[in-house]
Amino acid sequence: MCGIAGRILNAPGNIGHDLVELMAAQEHRGADSTGFAVYGIPRDTGYVVRAMGFDRDRLSSDLEEFRAVLKEHGGDLLEEPTWDNGETAHYSARMVISDPKDMARWTHDADEFCARLEIQSVGRSLEIIKDTGGAHAVADKHGVRDMVGTHGLGHARLATESDVRPNASHPFWARPFPDVAIVHNGQITDYYSWRKRLELKGYRFLTYNDSELIAVWVSDRMKEGLSLEAALTRSIDEIDGVFTYMIARSDTIGWAKDRFAMKPLVVVNQNGEVAAATEEQAVRRIFKEDDVSITNFDGPSMHGIWGVGNRRAAA
Amino acid sequence: MSEVVIDVSDRPIRDVHMDIQKAAAAGGNIVVINTCSRHNLAVGLPSGCHIRFEGSVGYYCGGLNTGATIEIERNAGWGCGEAMSKGHITIGGYAGMSVGAAMLGGTIHVKGDCGPRAGVAMKGGNIVVEGKIGYQSGFMAHGGKLIALGGAGSSCADALWAGEVWVTGDIADLGVDAVVTEPTAEQVAEVDAILDPLGLKDTSRDWRRIVAGQRLWYFESRDAKAWLMI
Repeated sequence: MCGIAGRILNAPGNIGHDLVELMAAQEHRGADSTGFAVYGIPRDTGYVVRAMGFDRDRLSSDLEEFRAVLKEHGGDLLEEPTWDNGETAHYSARMVISDPKDMARWTHDADEFCARLEIQSVGRSLEIIKDTGGAHAVADKHGVRDMVGTHGLGHARLATESDVRPNASHPFWARPFPDVAIVHNGQITDYYSWRKRLELKGYRFLTYNDSELIAVWVSDRMKEGLSLEAALTRSIDEIDGVFTYMIARSDTIGWAKDRFAMKPLVVVNQNGEVAAATEEQAVRRIFKEDDVSITNFDGPSMHGIWGVGNRRAAA
Repeated sequence: MSEVVIDVSDRPIRDVHMDIQKAAAAGGNIVVINTCSRHNLAVGLPSGCHIRFEGSVGYYCGGLNTGATIEIERNAGWGCGEAMSKGHITIGGYAGMSVGAAMLGGTIHVKGDCGPRAGVAMKGGNIVVEGKIGYQSGFMAHGGKLIALGGAGSSCADALWAGEVWVTGDIADLGVDAVVTEPTAEQVAEVDAILDPLGLKDTSRDWRRIVAGQRLWYFESRDAKAWLMI
């Protein structure tokens, strides 16, 4: 099943709070894992990195080594790393880094130097936080409610095709494209053949979750020169399965629905702000007025793009 | 008759349901407020009660209805009136995916448009839509009538089994094995008799009555293409 959400504010603000509300309302759609992609105030240079470690006892030495790998690629930490203080063996570390020379090569080495640490997101503004558990539990553990930004995505996972693991939950980063994240409700039936074709092009996948594929698929099409809109419409024709997905970038959220109209999408779009979710009751957590204009995108083969109008806090 | 007001807001849906069932058993008029598009409201209501929802409701509202009169002021989510056997549901606005799915009897009246697969697998009763019915409406209907006054989306009446889909207005395209027939005067009178109590009878309408071509009733290899809908 799964529940997804997207939110755009009309000015930088408390995006974390809204995403948690949207996902708390949809927790019944998949409570095994919850995740958030939060777009903070964008940096001009340097990246925010979210990494997931799997052995908290070796946190210090693994982050040391992570830094050493980064230095080999011409970058360095700009701030001291921070991490959650949960009681699980796995943890989410937040780092701010200067630009490495080659994003794809660096992420490859950073993911591969040991099996205990992998990158979850890289971006001027994107941060992906995801974990097992419901919306409130994940938000409490990682301080999501206090995150400030402009837009973001949320996901409640009911695993159907791959393991329940904190790193196999959504959102997924479109490795190695900075600031691109996806949430998806559905199943991709030609996942393995597409994955193989993308791997032959040099892309890497760290899970067997079919949704990880879509983010890379769309980004690869855009790298080849398609507009976001063209890539979205192409995905409806070329990717087989059932889906409603939202793909977020630094200044937009795009979405597409399969040709069988199997998965819902409910949207409020007014005055430069957007709330989108699988279920109408979720967007009503944000827009409480009875007469707010709500659109149900229930039809087949639909797509759309919402722009993020105002990304900088007023001076 | 006294009116019972029930507030939904963020209360546990089970508590709301118990309140509605209690009021319905007493046979009164019920008004439900602050619905917040929540799911599974007014499921399995008995005949004799009248319930009105202010605002919009979520999934499966009025499902398994056995005779209640249900009014929804604005929109209904997916599966409104699913498997109802008797009663009347009025949706003031838009009805989401699969309105009246597998219904057995009674009437659903939608004042706005419908999402995809309205009347999917319906086995009896009537669905009257003042607006347009969505993609694949009437999909595999076994009985009953789906009546659209504002046209139909693509794949209309796909794989229809034995129900009827009546449309005035544009039909984007027909689904597999859907056949358009010219209705007889008696058949039109039957439909008018359904529309009349809703104040929607209009004898000037140009109807298309869509029924099953019956090619899918039995599989024959020469029809394999018709089965491959994709």
